[in-house]
Amino acid sequence: MKNNKTEKVLIFDSSSIINFVLNGLLEEFRGLKKAFGGKFLITEEVKKEIVEKPSKIKRFELEALKIKALLDEKILEMPLDIGVKDQEVSEITNDIHYTANNTFFGRGNAIHIIDSGEESCLALSKLLGKKGIKNLVVIDERTIRMLCERPENLASLLHKRMHTKIEAKTDNFKLFEGFKFIRSTELIYIAYKKGIVKLKNHDVLDALLYAFKFNGCSISDEEINEIKKMGNKR
Amino acid sequence: MQEKENVLRILEETKTAIDNNDSLKLKNLSNQTNNTASLTQDPDNIAVAVAVYSISKILERAEHYRKLPGWKEFYKIIILAINNSIDAIKKDNPKKLTESLISIRKAVSKLSGKLKEYVQDVFRKAQINKASKLYEHGLSMEKTASLLGVTLFDLASYAGQRPEISEAPFNRTLDVRSRIKTALDMFK
Repeated sequence: MKNNKTEKVLIFDSSSIINFVLNGLLEEFRGLKKAFGGKFLITEEVKKEIVEKPSKIKRFELEALKIKALLDEKILEMPLDIGVKDQEVSEITNDIHYTANNTFFGRGNAIHIIDSGEESCLALSKLLGKKGIKNLVVIDERTIRMLCERPENLASLLHKRMHTKIEAKTDNFKLFEGFKFIRSTELIYIAYKKGIVKLKNHDVLDALLYAFKFNGCSISDEEINEIKKMGNKR
Repeated sequence: MQEKENVLRILEETKTAIDNNDSLKLKNLSNQTNNTASLTQDPDNIAVAVAVYSISKILERAEHYRKLPGWKEFYKIIILAINNSIDAIKKDNPKKLTESLISIRKAVSKLSGKLKEYVQDVFRKAQINKASKLYEHGLSMEKTASLLGVTLFDLASYAGQRPEISEAPFNRTLDVRSRIKTALDMFK
């Protein structure tokens, strides 16, 4: 008998899906889903950002339709598809929203660093973790990753860029521990290694990684070179 | 409005820079608004940041624009809006300040023909530019997109081309081999 229990999930933030769409790599995205053998989920808030809002803007209407097609085909699914109610996600999202946006202070202002789509990805990850479902958050923008993986780096960045003393409520950092993140660049590396990418050229990995970088994936040239070295190993 | 002394100074210097047709100075002034805008996230601060940047871009191309119908009226409204904004801050009148800043956007929507197309494009790009600056300052991509009223699609490709963001050493929070291993393990 087939076991329908979800065992592993990739949770996608807006930035990573946008990157696949802008690069015209949705066939590779579909291939990745097939190779993964688990679920690709987005939250209701992310859906608003990448389907509902852009569908009302002529410039991005086509991209919105392409993403909607992924939902229609069940390549991307919603938390409810694995039995997680929106209400459950929202409750944790609210907690994350309050804590994240009251962690760093400059000149007496609580600096609001993140927004609902990003917060909901963390909330869903936390919720799935509690249910024993292995998961990773796929996110290309950097602020969330810094907040969770190196919050002290985020404090330093805010200080450096805003030219002001930043105070951090370090007790809040605990809430952001334990999340695991990858970027679209790591996913396209897997697609390349597994032969999902149909383009065949010795420079294709370089071209793919830079395409993702230039469409918003926060990755340095040095990191790209490291991935390329790994990619060229047999 | 928060940090109003700083914004007042920026607007007064903006006025002088417009009189002197000094777009370089305006761009410099616009950059000075980034810190305040990212720290306070006050809508008026953000509107000032976008307006000053847009005016700098418009003045750069003023030779071309001034030949187009509607330019004189538009220019007058910009000057009036700056003066009214200065006056509103001095009189501690936030409502009037907001109205003055809105009047700039209204003036754009009242333009017609090529001038409208150009100026609208300048303002849209200014919003994206400012959003990317706020992202550079450490706010998240979604947060900045929502503050500036731009889409994540607009912001992603613009921000992706800024080495100030992707190459910043603070970004490196986990070595790339570990991240690849995490990803590969999930695909087993």
